[in-house]
Order: sequence, then C-alpha cells, then structure tokens
Amino acid sequence: MTPLLILSPLILLAALGAVWLARPVHAALLLALALALTAVFYLTIGADFIGLVQFMVYVGAIAVLIVFSLLITRPGDEAEELARRPRSLVTGLACTLPVLAVLLYSVSRSGTAESGAADSPAFTLEQLGTALFTTHVPAVMAVGVLLTAVMIGAALFARGAHASSVSRYASCVTEATIKPPTLSDP
Amino acid sequence: MTPLALLLTLSSLLFTLGLLAVLTRRNAILILVGIELMLNAANINFIAFWRYGPPDPDLTGPLFVLFSIAIAAAEAAVGLAIILMVFRHTRSTDLNRLDSLHG
Repeated sequence: MTPLLILSPLILLAALGAVWLARPVHAALLLALALALTAVFYLTIGADFIGLVQFMVYVGAIAVLIVFSLLITRPGDEAEELARRPRSLVTGLACTLPVLAVLLYSVSRSGTAESGAADSPAFTLEQLGTALFTTHVPAVMAVGVLLTAVMIGAALFARGAHASSVSRYASCVTEATIKPPTLSDP
Repeated sequence: MTPLALLLTLSSLLFTLGLLAVLTRRNAILILVGIELMLNAANINFIAFWRYGPPDPDLTGPLFVLFSIAIAAAEAAVGLAIILMVFRHTRSTDLNRLDSLHG
C-alpha cells in the first residue's frame, strides 16, 4: 500500500505534465517518466515480468519512437499553442469532466467488491508461459501476424520515402547529364 | 480507501488526462501521447483487478496486459508512420492545417 501511495501522485503529476506542457519534447519525456513509474509500480506489486515488459516496450520503444518523431518533424509554434489553449481547454474540460465523474461514481459504487486477497502470490514466469502457449495459442499467433503486418507496413512507408527521394535525385542527375556540356575552353 | 479503489481512481484520472490531451492538443504526435496514456490506464486496471480482485489462477489480467502492450506498440508504430507520411506531404503535424477535404 505504501509504494502505491507514493507512486500514484508521481504518475499523476508526470501525466499532467505530459498533457499540459506546451513544448512537445518535454511532454514526450514526461510521458516516458509516467510510463516508467507505472513499470516501477508493476514491479512493486508483484507483476515483475509485466513491469519489465512495460519498461522495455513502452519506455524503451514507444517513448523513444515518439521523441525521435518529434525530432524529425518540425517543432510546432508554442506561442500559437498557448494562445489557443484557453478556448480548447474549456471545450476539452466540458467533454472530459462528465467522463471523469461517471468513472469515479462507478469506482465508488464498486469499491465493496474487493475480496481482500492482499497476499495473493505473484505468478511465476513458468505459469505465464504455460498459459500463453497452451490455452492462448491462437491469440499469440494473431499478435504475431499483427506485428508482422505492422513491420511490413512501416518498412513500406520508409521504403516509399527512400524510393521517391532516389527517383527525384535520379531525374536531377539525368537532366544534368542530358544537357550538352558547354564549351568553356577557347 | 482500499488499494483496489485507489488504483481504479488513479486509472480513471489517467484516462481522463489522456482524453483531455487527445481533445485539446493539435500536434498529431502529442495526440498519440494522450492515446498512450489512456492505454496505460487500461493496463493499470487489468493489473489492479488481477492483484486485488478475486483470486485468478488463469492469470487473465497479466496475459491481457501483455497482449495490450503488444497491440499498443503496433498502434504507435503505424500511427507515427502515418504522421510522418503526412508531415512529408504538408510539412506540418498540426491537425488544423489538414483541411484539404474540408467542404
């Protein structure tokens, strides 16, 4: 319970920064911090493997991917973002506060359903692997197909950009070579 | 407040923050940040119900989180690839400028 009380405000603060900060790189880094704190929370609660996977995939892959995309794309206009904020914030809060109210109401209603199994043992990796590769084989195969499709799709995007830049370069080169050389020598 | 209620409150707040980011941000990459926050809130819910809910020998919660993380990674990769393609065409990731289909 104590790590939970310490980690929850930190996760919320990091997420608030990720939502609030106008500079995109700061927001992305605070998202990485929130995800890493969630991974630490999984480690303290007994879900070691899930915490490590969260750390590797979320922090190591997704957050780094987002930061790199921010570096590749042009940084947005922060002054424009800040000037637009009050109006969009009113609309956003008007839409999200009812959602939050409904969620918190249902949480307060369902709080009595707890079984009190506070000492439920953590699972071993063997249990998880056995469950994953005996009863959930179709799901594992579906995820494998999904990841393969995503990999091919991302490679096609990257290759398309490369091919177009190469063809542009090739057309420049052919224009330059087709043009007859000017005689500069006397 | 029981740990389960505390965790559900935490994930509700995280989900709301992610939704707020999706609704108020204009940079497409920062909208993806909000989507990641919402998915993370859902994962916290799965783990909370596995840990503090009724005993579950089938490990449904952790298995669901594993698949959810895999799908979130795929979604982020495809989303960022699409955003980079859009950036290559329009030289901007501001969604307000993507109005060429506007009637």
